[in-house]
Amino acid sequence: MSEILFEARDLSRHYQVPQGLFRPKAVVRALDGVSFGVMAGHTLAVVGESGCGKSTLARQITMLETPTAGTLVLDGHDLATTSKATLRQLRPMVQMVFQNPYASLNPRKRIGSILEEPLKIHTTFNAAERADRARAMMARVGLRPEHYERYPHMFSGGQRQRVAIARALMTQPKLVVADEPVSALDVSIQAQVLNLLMDLQAETNVAYVFISHNLAVVEHIANEVMVMYLGRVVEQGPARAVFDTALHPYTRALLAATPRLDPAERGERAIVRGEPPSPLAPPRGCAYASRCPLAQARCRDEAPQLRELGGHRVACHFAEASG
Amino acid sequence: MALLEVRQLRVAFGAARQPLHAVDGLDLTLEAGEVVGLVGESGSGKSVASLALMGLVDAPGRVSANRLAFDGRDLLAMRPAERRRLLGRDIAMIFQDPSTSLNPCFTIGDQIIETLAVHEGGPRRSLRARALELLQQVEIPDAAQRLDAYPHQLSGGMSQRVMIAMAIACNPRLLIADEPTTALDVTVQAQVLQLLLRLQRERGMALLLITHDLAVVSEVAQRVVVMYAGQVMETGPVPAIFTAPQHPYTRALLDALPEHKRGSERLQSLPGVVPGQFDRPTGCLLAPRCRFAQARCAAERPALVTSGVGTVRCHYPLDAQGASQSHTAEAAR
Repeated sequence: MSEILFEARDLSRHYQVPQGLFRPKAVVRALDGVSFGVMAGHTLAVVGESGCGKSTLARQITMLETPTAGTLVLDGHDLATTSKATLRQLRPMVQMVFQNPYASLNPRKRIGSILEEPLKIHTTFNAAERADRARAMMARVGLRPEHYERYPHMFSGGQRQRVAIARALMTQPKLVVADEPVSALDVSIQAQVLNLLMDLQAETNVAYVFISHNLAVVEHIANEVMVMYLGRVVEQGPARAVFDTALHPYTRALLAATPRLDPAERGERAIVRGEPPSPLAPPRGCAYASRCPLAQARCRDEAPQLRELGGHRVACHFAEASG
Repeated sequence: MALLEVRQLRVAFGAARQPLHAVDGLDLTLEAGEVVGLVGESGSGKSVASLALMGLVDAPGRVSANRLAFDGRDLLAMRPAERRRLLGRDIAMIFQDPSTSLNPCFTIGDQIIETLAVHEGGPRRSLRARALELLQQVEIPDAAQRLDAYPHQLSGGMSQRVMIAMAIACNPRLLIADEPTTALDVTVQAQVLQLLLRLQRERGMALLLITHDLAVVSEVAQRVVVMYAGQVMETGPVPAIFTAPQHPYTRALLDALPEHKRGSERLQSLPGVVPGQFDRPTGCLLAPRCRFAQARCAAERPALVTSGVGTVRCHYPLDAQGASQSHTAEAAR
């Protein structure tokens, strides 16, 4: 039915961090052995706390950075080995929507020229054709025709995010990476933007990589979920399976920590203590061991590998015990 | 007697001839030891209202109220010096973004000690011991070392804990927390909320929690005040206000939450945005965005009236089944 559009295998991205003039550089493993696939027309949600590598992942998928190791396959092309000419054709297929619509739109450009910019770069359309397409896209994301001549400062946050989404869709991408697209918005506006994203997906069969820390939003929009902690995947699988039978203690902690309206839905408040360890000095064993209520001696010595369990994949020595 | 009593609080900005009322007749009462949530979208006047309570609205902003009393003392009639003595000691505030509310040039120890020195005084050594004790109370690990840390050396959650330590330093009786967990991760948010509640219970503080996150409010508060465009739309106790909201606005905010709609259904969204200075409706402020609006809503601004367990500002409040009375009312005419 739907084919795999984008695939990452053992993706790693390490950064060199200077420690001082005469000291050797330290290595931060911002992404470490991450594998996943995105189907056409599906939504993969990436969940985790700040510093878990979500945004680094976005930069690899959008080809803004070259991964340290691992393979990225887009539409059957291996991005590391493919020719520059092919890469040029592939780039418009992946677009991005950023978190903060107040910072991601150029304040000196009109909405029209913001929307036409991707076409100028990637297509040979003339000015009139570009304007037609920009106006058509504005209508689709719910902006009025007179907005074409306006500047970003004349819009509210929700409208700006519509402009950012419209810009991402101008090149008719097959994959859109949305990095916390609704976390800067009010709940009422958040619902408008989520509806828009879902409508556009139904219309154009675009796939989303949806990065978020809001589990309620993720539960609503995602087909697949990938939970990350300190650069590694701790749990991934179909959204229903992950939310209904979370196996990793970290996923369960995230779910328990999410505020719920309905008292019946509130998990027992097993609040995670502390904060994630420094990525400069990650622990030898399981990265989550220092905060985990189930941690044993083995967790501190041996890093758990991702393995199949109960319909999804989990990286925990004691996943069976917590289920 | 109520700890905090606010009657018809108004905060106006802009020219005297055409003022913008960011807060337009807010009534609010807090009993000692009570947790009240103040919710609403951006632009609904939540933060300006809290700044006005703290006396932090500078000219050209104008604050007026029929009554603004803390513990029976009229805050507006006080001399500025007297009011300053009250602030930070009996009324304390925590702001949204901890990374911008701490001074980057001083250690956190210095900043906590400054609060103590201003309000209580005493030898520096004993103040330092008090500061250490406060850091331990807000559960900061290695508190002794952290006293000499600068704000940039702390994570967001730690900085917010420091802000809480400063706020509770002088045993306030009212703590105003303006979006205290919005900038934090969900696990850290849970920690900070739990900490705030523990301190609130132990010290019997009243807590005014300002947030746009209804789920947070429903877990924490005993009573909720819903604001929209500077006016109170609905007040009521938890959980009644969430299970049977009377105002269409409260209802719309609840419907917009994704957790109500599992799977890939559409969310009920509230069209449009909060009105600004020039597009304020003459009738009900919500009328242009309201699903249930009738001709009367656009013409006549409703008053805040007692209804059931709470108060509501709507011509046609929703009944317990969530149906608007507007249809029946129109039919009867």
